[in-house]
Amino acid sequence: MPLDYPVHRRTLDNGLRVVVSPDHTVPNVTVNLWVGVGSRHEEAGRTGFAHLFEHLMFQGSRGVRSGEHFEALMAEGGRLNATTWFDRTNYFETVPTGALELALWLEADRHGHLLDALTQENLDNQRDVVKEEKRQRYDNQPYGTALIDVYAAVFPEGHPYHHPTIGSMADLDAASLEDVHAFFRRYYAPDNTVLTLCGDIAPEEGFTLVERYFGGLTARAEERRPDLPQLEPLTAPVRVERREKVPNDRLHVAFRLPVDGTDELVAATVALDCLAGLSSSRLVRRFVRREQSATGAHATAWGFVDGVSLGFVVIDAAPDADTDALEAGLVEELERLAQEGPTEAELEASIAQAERAWLSALASQEERADLLSRYLLLHDDPDVVNTHLDRVRAVTAERVVEATRRWLRPESRAVVAFLDDAEGAEAVA
Amino acid sequence: MSARPAVRPPAPWAFPVPEEHRLPNGVRLLVHDLPGQYVLSMRVVVPSSLATEDPELEGISSMTARLLDEGTAEHSPEEFAELMERHGMALGAGVSDGGLLVDLDVPQAHLPTAARLVTEALATPVFPEPEVRRILRSRLAEIEQERASAAHRAAREVARTMWDPADRASRPAAGSAETIGRITREAVAEHHALRVGPRGATVVLAGDLSGIDPLSVLDATLGQWEAPRQVPAPPPLAPVPAADRARVVVVDRPGSVQTEIAVACPGPDRSTPFGWAPHPVASFVVGGSPNARVDAVLREEKGYTYGIRSAFRPRVAGGSFVTSGSVRSEVTGEAVGLLLGILDDARDGFTAAELRSGVDFVSKTAPGRYATADAVADETAALALEGLPLDFTTRNLAAVAGLALEDLDAAYRRAATGEWTVVLVGDAESVLPAVEGRLPGPVSTVAL
Repeated sequence: MPLDYPVHRRTLDNGLRVVVSPDHTVPNVTVNLWVGVGSRHEEAGRTGFAHLFEHLMFQGSRGVRSGEHFEALMAEGGRLNATTWFDRTNYFETVPTGALELALWLEADRHGHLLDALTQENLDNQRDVVKEEKRQRYDNQPYGTALIDVYAAVFPEGHPYHHPTIGSMADLDAASLEDVHAFFRRYYAPDNTVLTLCGDIAPEEGFTLVERYFGGLTARAEERRPDLPQLEPLTAPVRVERREKVPNDRLHVAFRLPVDGTDELVAATVALDCLAGLSSSRLVRRFVRREQSATGAHATAWGFVDGVSLGFVVIDAAPDADTDALEAGLVEELERLAQEGPTEAELEASIAQAERAWLSALASQEERADLLSRYLLLHDDPDVVNTHLDRVRAVTAERVVEATRRWLRPESRAVVAFLDDAEGAEAVA
Repeated sequence: MSARPAVRPPAPWAFPVPEEHRLPNGVRLLVHDLPGQYVLSMRVVVPSSLATEDPELEGISSMTARLLDEGTAEHSPEEFAELMERHGMALGAGVSDGGLLVDLDVPQAHLPTAARLVTEALATPVFPEPEVRRILRSRLAEIEQERASAAHRAAREVARTMWDPADRASRPAAGSAETIGRITREAVAEHHALRVGPRGATVVLAGDLSGIDPLSVLDATLGQWEAPRQVPAPPPLAPVPAADRARVVVVDRPGSVQTEIAVACPGPDRSTPFGWAPHPVASFVVGGSPNARVDAVLREEKGYTYGIRSAFRPRVAGGSFVTSGSVRSEVTGEAVGLLLGILDDARDGFTAAELRSGVDFVSKTAPGRYATADAVADETAALALEGLPLDFTTRNLAAVAGLALEDLDAAYRRAATGEWTVVLVGDAESVLPAVEGRLPGPVSTVAL
């Protein structure tokens, strides 16, 4: 079934790229902005800054008092939030159609005039809140810091993806008001931002409203460096071992992958599916069903734009299982996949699951808006929402074999092992 | 900069009303045709009560649900998994206090195959011995994962403290290590024969149904489902609160950098004779947003937490009102004191502005909250299991819009009597001295 979600686009004189995608099935509009700044833009000693900044965007701006952004939109039936990731920061709300202009006005006020309202008190308070977020999501969770180890093991020191979005406590402590001002001036500008309206709105009306509220913002984003060239796979295995009090041993086996928006990444994703991304995957059949040496095996691929993406397999070891044997088994299955390629059933299953996941995401107005912004900001092509599945369906067994041989070689793996040690917590790198 | 724009009132909206049918075997079928929703959502609910589980074998309902798609008379477990995935299906099954819930998402074109496989899973699972052992083992691993997670551990201790020890609700729905260890293949097969069948069952199908004849697809599949030995489920009963529930339990989790806080009391289900409408409004005002009473102090003023949330959690019968979140260890004593103060002070009444904001949020977000096939199917399946009429959602929204301050105050006071069950999961060595003398009720400590 070919997809035909409407995609109307226009660029304002100040460089703000806008997409309007009408859908009148629900009397709501989603406003979704992506700003071209994420943790990949952060410098050493300033990690966690993009995310801390995202919090400050809710603390008031020229015409809006602290907390009012949430309050005003929720009282009109808005559901809203913001998130920070390696490649970008996004801000979004879904509001009843009659509150669309209020949402645009509030967004324009903070995206244009945040600094008027920024205070040391707000910065100190949100720094504390972000530190609690870090404790809650990373430090106080079993395996909570595993992915931080994965990023550091897979990507070289100084690479944009070497450090996590949440940053470090020391860097958060060091953030000053001057830093925040400089950060805003450097990255928050209409020519480094895209805006999507998805929902109960006609294209011309949408463009007129965005022009009304955002047209007055000044273009001033700094010249961007081009994205980094493709990072080649690791040439020798990397291993990080953590001994902590965890419920069971867990292996994270990670790989560098080709950048987002390429056929090669789609093929590598299918290869990871064959390995552990499906309940009929090889590692699930072998470790979980037959040997019962693991209670779970999963695979994930995250597309990034700055020269490399990330793929990883997570294996939860059964209580008496030997993690070295699990790792050796994974290497065997990688080699077999590279030799023999995927079966017809694996290829079909991977494509069918990708299709359902994509259609499910697009079924929600919020997620559709987010995908439109993603492809507009990072690839200048919002129509990917309609064409992505064609690319997925075009994957062949040969492409999967090529991707496996190039990107998923056993020697290109980085392993982060969390091993149960009730006695203490020390790192052996 | 232009002036702040005015807001136009939202258009009237109603929760979609499904078409209602009966399948040949008596199963109730509720169909929502939702144009543009290309992934169909199917739900099958079968009422049953966890209270009827053999106390020695608690968790058997959950384990049976998890084993439904692990081998059928027609397909081995691996064949079944592969068939599902080749047809783009995502299938899940679990139990709540009201019964079994099977959920399926599948692209439109694969509905006939999906309906056939769901029927197989419900009607002819064979529970192969190795799969039973594997699923039981993974539940044991899951129990350890839940123990290690502060939030899960807190939820378990709340149930154990708030409900009477004789009540099934005081123990984990999916069973403990002891009871899971006693479950056998034969017990699972027997449980399936007696508890999983078309009697009392409802099927919900939601999504874009253009070009599909759902009735003939479902007549030929779930309409043929039979379970001659199935016994009817007893009517659901609200859990009995523990007589000594108003106390503080510290769960010792050495080395924790945060304390997970949960404050709870019993609450109503959605068919409460007082009306459900004020409850989501009250919980929103108390702890439903960064500007709500709780986070206005603990997050935005003090910076002690990433966020603490309050919610009424209705069960099929009875329910609870729970406020939970985490704070850094050093401020545990002060944070819990402030939190209990806020929850108690709300008994003095809400303001007109709070009522307005809560009513507006709950009623105006409804069209968006029920905009996907998935969300519509979930709500209709919940109505079916809870025995609520199909226009409940719409009528409740009208009741929300008409709430007066007295309704809100009365609803909160009925639930929040001040008899709080307080659970703190954290490093007992530092938590205990910090809360000593600061909180009402006796304080005890339990191991992780």
